[in-house]
Amino acid sequence: MGMLDKIQISRRMCPVIFLIDTSGSMTLNTMNGENPIGAVNAAIEGVLPELISMNESNADNEIKVAIMSFDFEAKWVTGETDLVSPEDLKANWVDLNADGLTSMGAAFRELNQKLSVSHGFMKRATGSVAPVLFLLSDGEPTDDYQSGLQELKQNNWYKVAVRVAIGYGDSNDDVLREFTGNNETVLHTNDPKDLKKMIHFVAVTSSKVASTGSNSVSPDDNSVDPDDNTQKTAAALQSQGGLLNATPDEDW
Amino acid sequence: MANFSVLSKNQKVELASGKTATVVGKLGEGGQGIVYRVILDDTGEEKALKWYFRDKFNDARKIYNHLEENIRIGSPSAAFVWMEEITKWSDYESFGYTMKIFPSGYESFSKFLNSRVRFQSPQAMVNAGLNMVAAFMALHGKGYNYQDLNDGNFSINPINGDVLICDNDNVMGHGENSGVLGKARYMAPEVVRGDKQPDKITDRYSLAVILFMLFIGDHPLEGQKTNVPALTNKYDKRFFGTEPLFIYDKKDSSNAPVPGLHKNALAMWKYFPSFVKAAFQESFSQESLLQGRGRLLEQDWFHILMRLKSSIVKCPQCGEEIFLESDRETICGKHKIKPVGYLNFEKRSNQAVTVPIFKDAVLYNYHVDNSDDFKNVAAVILEKPGKFGLQNKTNRRWSVTAPDGKTFTKQAGETVVLGANFKIDFGNGNIAQVIVN
Repeated sequence: MGMLDKIQISRRMCPVIFLIDTSGSMTLNTMNGENPIGAVNAAIEGVLPELISMNESNADNEIKVAIMSFDFEAKWVTGETDLVSPEDLKANWVDLNADGLTSMGAAFRELNQKLSVSHGFMKRATGSVAPVLFLLSDGEPTDDYQSGLQELKQNNWYKVAVRVAIGYGDSNDDVLREFTGNNETVLHTNDPKDLKKMIHFVAVTSSKVASTGSNSVSPDDNSVDPDDNTQKTAAALQSQGGLLNATPDEDW
Repeated sequence: MANFSVLSKNQKVELASGKTATVVGKLGEGGQGIVYRVILDDTGEEKALKWYFRDKFNDARKIYNHLEENIRIGSPSAAFVWMEEITKWSDYESFGYTMKIFPSGYESFSKFLNSRVRFQSPQAMVNAGLNMVAAFMALHGKGYNYQDLNDGNFSINPINGDVLICDNDNVMGHGENSGVLGKARYMAPEVVRGDKQPDKITDRYSLAVILFMLFIGDHPLEGQKTNVPALTNKYDKRFFGTEPLFIYDKKDSSNAPVPGLHKNALAMWKYFPSFVKAAFQESFSQESLLQGRGRLLEQDWFHILMRLKSSIVKCPQCGEEIFLESDRETICGKHKIKPVGYLNFEKRSNQAVTVPIFKDAVLYNYHVDNSDDFKNVAAVILEKPGKFGLQNKTNRRWSVTAPDGKTFTKQAGETVVLGANFKIDFGNGNIAQVIVN
């Protein structure tokens, strides 16, 4: 290769992992026409171009994505072995379907397995920065979520992760807060139209914090634990509010 | 209640001068605020308006006053997309400033690093470095320092290497501090360690990181030692603060680039001549990294990069463009090349100034009139079988003295045949001597 033929600078990985409740209650309600799973699909698909653009402008870290659905069981929709690039996911997008229970404990256990360098998703040669763990649920866990969560809480990647959650409808937000460990990174809505916007906002903001979190460190940051990326995200969510995504023709 | 605000289309913003601007669209957003496209109502001119998230600041008035001051003092050079007019202060709303709209043809430095964009020529790549160095020479010369120098601040034209520098809000006068420490991996180790606030000296470290990444395409401190799975704050502090080690450290190879991971570092380093390698080794020596000592000044870099620019020639066998050493052998990748000699000028700022005597090597006005003009060609080296000549591309007369004392003059457009130990006087005391290898 000649002196101008440089390749991509070596970047660290920034994993963005979605845990999506695909229980039966997320399906289209033919009575009122509400379709939460449709909103989830549209939202995540809509986030991908933003992640692609973040990757294009970030020379430090590269976002890679994994999606897990949990209903009767926990399943990696994007594959068991590796995270995928947002480009690949966009090109091969398949909508999630909703059916079954809310096996959140199984989801936590499965996530814990994959948050590992030796046998999980974190085996990037150039290393990884703190991942984003994004949880969405619309109901009570139907299995023993506690034991799964306690296992997960021992995981060092979990400890430094950006943990965010969205509760929809009848979700148990206390459980979501237990998962994030931070009241300010759990948002709730009952409206499927809001749900799509909220997913977009939370996913984009948290991905931005995780992938560019080291930008413009200010001395004030010394007051918080520098590895508390969830708190950094809480601050970002709060300072931007929903205003950035508001459109003038939006229903109140 | 957060006291920031977001502007909407057609909204009018009042400037401190009493003029108004109308918001017509959004250009981008960052951690500190949003950049809008606006039209100045009196002239119809399009501008960019940076509008802050006011609740990001504990003392918004202080930031406002600081911006006012920077507008008053003015832009260090044309490379800076400087703040032009500040909006009117209000106790309730946010504030911002106007600047020129980014011209087309420039690409963000991150895109170069992500190999989405490539330089069209080695000259353009070196020009980019010269433009950066010249801009920071002007900035520091005006008593400012940048404080938050990183890849996100630069946009570069891949065809000619022209550079624009944005996000100048954190630029501070000597002794002042913006409260921003910088971006990890670009911050000087003493700032990472918490020993020091950013200043001119820490800017120089960040500039050396940027130059290394521009030319080499990997980070100067990321090698074998930094190859850990989880890059948490603790490790960042170690690798970039308390235990930093240059990947090409002269004495310690324990942080060397890793094959398969730091491919650019391994592939590109060998293209660069010894004096550029030495400059990086000095910039990232343990003394520089741990004690902040011995960092190159902008003027040092300027002379080094001029020497680099004048070393660009083509390998006669494969046509590959290379940086040719003046006084020793260079390998183009496949072939060994050594020039017959070189033109040797007096040192500038204690940096050597040389040009290899090789077909198509170029001298710039920098060489012949002691200016900082690195764009306009002053002379070209020509080759005929058995001899080399230096063609006068200036409009001045040169005087050439042979070792036996004979003197000739060469007018504009004429070519002087180069002989051992000839001295070429370009006027104003700028003299080059032909040194035979």
